[in-house]
Amino acid sequence: MTFLQVVNLTKRFDEQFAVRDVTLGVTRGTVLALLGPSGSGKTTTLRLLAGFERPDTGQVLVDGVDVTAETPVSRRFGMVFQHYALFPHLNVGENVGFGLSGRSPEARRARVAEVLALVDLAGFEARAVSELSGGQQQRVAVARALAPEPRVLLLDEPLSNLDPSLRERTRRELRAALDKAGVTTVFVTHEQDEAFALADRVAVLRDGRLEQEGTARELYDMPATLFVATFVGRASILRGTLIAADRARLAEGVEWPVRPSSNVRQGGPVNVVVRPEAVRFAPAGLPGVVTECRYTGARAFFQVEVAGGTVELEAPIDGARVGDPVFLTVSSAHAFPVEP
Amino acid sequence: MRGRPRGILLTLFLLWLVVYPLLMVVLDSVRGPSGWSLAQVAEFGRTPEEWQALWGSLWISMVSVVFAGAIGIPLAFVFERMEFPGRRILGALVALPAVLPPLVGVMAFLFLYGESGFLSRIVKGAFSLEDAPWRLAGAPAILLVHAYSMYVYFYLFTRAGLAKVDSSMIEAAQSLGASRSSTLFRVTLPLLGPQIIAAALLTFMTSLGSFSAPYIFGGGFRVMTTQIVSTKLNGNDAMAMVETVALAVVALVGLALFRWTSSERSVAAVGKGAPPARKLEQPVARWLAAVVGWAVAVVVLLPHATLILISFVPMRTWTTQLMPPVYTLGNYGALIREPERLRPLINSLWMAVVATVAALAVALWAGRAIVRRRVRLARVIDILTNVPWAVPGTVLAIALATTFSVNAPWAGRWVLVGTFFILPLAYLIRNIPLTAGPVIAGFRQLDPGLDEAAASLGASRWATLRRVTMPLLRPALLACGALAFATAVGDFVTSIVLYTFETRPISVEILSALRQNDIGIAAAFGVVLMLVSAGAMAVGTSR
Amino acid sequence: MPKTLSRVLLGATLFALACGGSKGPTPLVVYSPHGRDQLTLMEKTFEAANPDIDVRWLDMGSQDALDRVRSERANPQGDVWFGGPSTLFIRAAADSLLVSFVPTFAAATPERARGAGGFFHAVYETPTVIMYNSDAVKAADAPKDWDEVLAPRWKRKVLIREPFGSGTMRTIFGLLIQRGMKSPTDTGPGFQWLRRLDAQTKEYVLNPALLDQKMVRQEGVISLWDLPDILQEQKKGSPLGYVFPSSGTAVIEDCIAIIRGAKHLAAAKRWVEWVGSQQGQLLTARDMMRLPSRTDIPDDSLPDWVKMVRAEMKVAPMDWSLLADRGADWMTYWDRNVRGKGR
Repeated sequence: MTFLQVVNLTKRFDEQFAVRDVTLGVTRGTVLALLGPSGSGKTTTLRLLAGFERPDTGQVLVDGVDVTAETPVSRRFGMVFQHYALFPHLNVGENVGFGLSGRSPEARRARVAEVLALVDLAGFEARAVSELSGGQQQRVAVARALAPEPRVLLLDEPLSNLDPSLRERTRRELRAALDKAGVTTVFVTHEQDEAFALADRVAVLRDGRLEQEGTARELYDMPATLFVATFVGRASILRGTLIAADRARLAEGVEWPVRPSSNVRQGGPVNVVVRPEAVRFAPAGLPGVVTECRYTGARAFFQVEVAGGTVELEAPIDGARVGDPVFLTVSSAHAFPVEP
Repeated sequence: MRGRPRGILLTLFLLWLVVYPLLMVVLDSVRGPSGWSLAQVAEFGRTPEEWQALWGSLWISMVSVVFAGAIGIPLAFVFERMEFPGRRILGALVALPAVLPPLVGVMAFLFLYGESGFLSRIVKGAFSLEDAPWRLAGAPAILLVHAYSMYVYFYLFTRAGLAKVDSSMIEAAQSLGASRSSTLFRVTLPLLGPQIIAAALLTFMTSLGSFSAPYIFGGGFRVMTTQIVSTKLNGNDAMAMVETVALAVVALVGLALFRWTSSERSVAAVGKGAPPARKLEQPVARWLAAVVGWAVAVVVLLPHATLILISFVPMRTWTTQLMPPVYTLGNYGALIREPERLRPLINSLWMAVVATVAALAVALWAGRAIVRRRVRLARVIDILTNVPWAVPGTVLAIALATTFSVNAPWAGRWVLVGTFFILPLAYLIRNIPLTAGPVIAGFRQLDPGLDEAAASLGASRWATLRRVTMPLLRPALLACGALAFATAVGDFVTSIVLYTFETRPISVEILSALRQNDIGIAAAFGVVLMLVSAGAMAVGTSR
Repeated sequence: MPKTLSRVLLGATLFALACGGSKGPTPLVVYSPHGRDQLTLMEKTFEAANPDIDVRWLDMGSQDALDRVRSERANPQGDVWFGGPSTLFIRAAADSLLVSFVPTFAAATPERARGAGGFFHAVYETPTVIMYNSDAVKAADAPKDWDEVLAPRWKRKVLIREPFGSGTMRTIFGLLIQRGMKSPTDTGPGFQWLRRLDAQTKEYVLNPALLDQKMVRQEGVISLWDLPDILQEQKKGSPLGYVFPSSGTAVIEDCIAIIRGAKHLAAAKRWVEWVGSQQGQLLTARDMMRLPSRTDIPDDSLPDWVKMVRAEMKVAPMDWSLLADRGADWMTYWDRNVRGKGR
């Protein structure tokens, strides 16, 4: 059941579209990631949700009620900021209790303890914010946002400020906390790994437009656009012509099977997107020359120069050597035709 | 949020407060008995004495900057960069001229260095001179007072700047083979540029508006502030307006020049912090530094000591003796016992508090508008908060007296002259640049996310201000609030023009006591003012 | 933020109202240069007899008082202007700053004490004199007339009160300019004399207190000043003496007037009447060395000094309207062409 809804949201800054006609829905209690490169409008979308920016047109609905005109204060959304924005003059307990001003001191103390326990920081109330590590600060920020029991939790690049070594652990802890809290969540990230690991569904944005929305698997397996295909997971692109619903002719007359798609006109030009794990060395197929080989343990990534582009594939390390002429074939499950 | 005409209310308010009265003065200066007339302006242009007064104001201000800088900057280096016994306490004592309000400082100088002051009497006695060894009058006397009271700006600003200069830059210069002196001139001083320029601006503007020193010591020496008052006393109001405009123009040009200079060279030195003070290794050098330090402190504190001493001297017991013969607590008793003497004390305090709080509120309002909401009028607002810098107290007082002696609500004019609103209003205007600068700077350093964080946690704008912004700006608010309070409580120039029975402040009472030859009472009032200012400063610098 | 500001302003207003708004006796605001001692004495005495009036005086120079009355014209804050030479009051009356009110004692004063149109009245006569430090200068050696002040022995020993803020000094300068006049525009000889005085002058002193202080401390030993101030200083033990110039002196008609738009008119009238009453005149004559302007006080109740001064003093003829009219221009001319030029 859709709890948070965004309808035709548009926002311009100085005649420049930051967000353009975005429509999205988030089911109650699930996590949506807004994924996109910098400048894609994901942060603006988040700020529009929070109410820090007013949309030029479009609506934000919560539980079917239009909240577009409401201030950030009255929306009762929780927000975790990229740099956490913890109040430096308050300690951990006071930070977490900041949004609980309506309650009695005891109720407040109890709720602070409860959310701190939720993020695994029980007993940290009296600590100064500056004494905490980056990961702990991040969890305090989450606890603070969760404390007033927000209707929606928003997170802006929640992991980007952490050391890479810390990220994976924090990501797991964050997901656990979100699951426990059961709150409808939207977060922004530019890292596909993060989006896939934390979110139930992912919305890919580009230049202010929504490119595609779906589960991680849907995006990976069925990218709707070239952009999604390349932004989500590794992919190579080959130009060709769609000769049948499930066949494309590539350079030098080589034909490859593709997943049937209704998006591309038959007989017209097509971009064929292939995942590295879908391509194999074969005795015959698309000819090319290995230009690079990167080992990752038992397998390796190979770069193969073919007519009209480069193809990346993953294969056992003894599959080929740099400089070898090779032929490539593909499994149709991971080759998608996309309109150029 | 952008594109909407935000900040208009604030801009209008500031225009009404700081520009409108000046405009009224300009209009009055070109208004003759029968319609518009440039006769007064022409008269001003023809009269060499007017130009003499204008030039007097200008060169006194420029030389004051040089003298104050020549004292303040080296002192800052000594106390910031050298370690010797008593450095901390001496470093604080050296800033104490700041707690003497202008009129009080001038009074202290009179009793100390005046013809029959302590020092003159001592020198006269020691060398068996016929006459006093010197006369405290004219330009040298004014410059002496200015140098004494304004080197503090250079001292404090330079010290603050030195504390921020990145030690790695100094080390880099030295590793490149620069000698200590060339490091100083090629690296350290240029990095201190913005601070030194700010101190110079403050000194220049304060000197230009300085009234007490030329009023009491000027003799025949002409400066514009005293010229305006004597023209007005002589009943020639129109000419006083022209003179007022002339002084305001010089001040505004000065402000514009300084701002232009400082925008040319805003060097940001952010780094790991200053190098620790250099410990003087040789015992001789350490003790020498300490002796020099104490000597400076003694000289700096002599006026304060003089004031305290005089405050214990009953009326008319001190004539030609070297030191006063009798000391009692009578003067302080009179301050507390006599209600009409206690009243000015209470008046000054409440008016200063109101003006300071209001100035802080305006500063927060401006800071929010400029930094947080980035209103289109931000630049205008920024400039408007700076304009009172350039308006000497005399000019402001006359402008307010002119503007608010007419009842025309549709034109934003009410009769405020003679009411108890006018003095707090005048103090507020003078306080705005003192509070707006630091508060706006403080806002710039605040993470804007904190405001949004508070909003997302359900805090209203007012709650955010109270629970987040103000606690975070606390050091800046305290510091500039203390400065504003001390300035208002010691104000003399604007008060003398605008006070009423209900609002007569301490400084007017001091002048009145001086008129009666009650120097003990005047000094006792001075000591009280000094203590109040010192208390405010102590609060302002507490962390 | 506007909310904050309005709260602050509201608070300030309420506080100010709480401070200022007191019920009880009618306040009477008096602008006066007569000084704390005299004003306190008169306030106490008057209030004892008139408990329904609360006298609030503001001490300021007489020029300052005129300036203040003029700048408060739109919203007068003062009720009575008490003290200053008639020249200032003539200008104030011409500027419609005063209320016409003929007090009952007017009839008992000489013609010269009554202001034209009944706008102001002299309550004291203030003779100007030559002042000297009696420790440093023997009575016999003191200058006997204005011209003797220019003698070489007093070179750089003369102190002059800064004349711009001082009605007394303006009057003395006015007399000295008028002395040499053959026609109303003939100011040459007078300014020539003042130029020579400037050469004798060591310093122009900011206010009367500083003048007394500097005289007592012998920073200078000769000055031109008014009699009541010297007598009061003498009473307090200051070593000051005075001489009536033999060629005649300017006697300042020290006036009182009700300010136009006074908020407490009835109280103001009672104060004026009281100041000019026999009781009020005797009080200030005995304790404050003020020479009464009314001439009907019985000789046996007057203090001795009054009789002595009246016998000794020689009044020089003066054109007061001319002084009131031209005084400001003369002072401007003096400031630009005489001050500091004699050196």
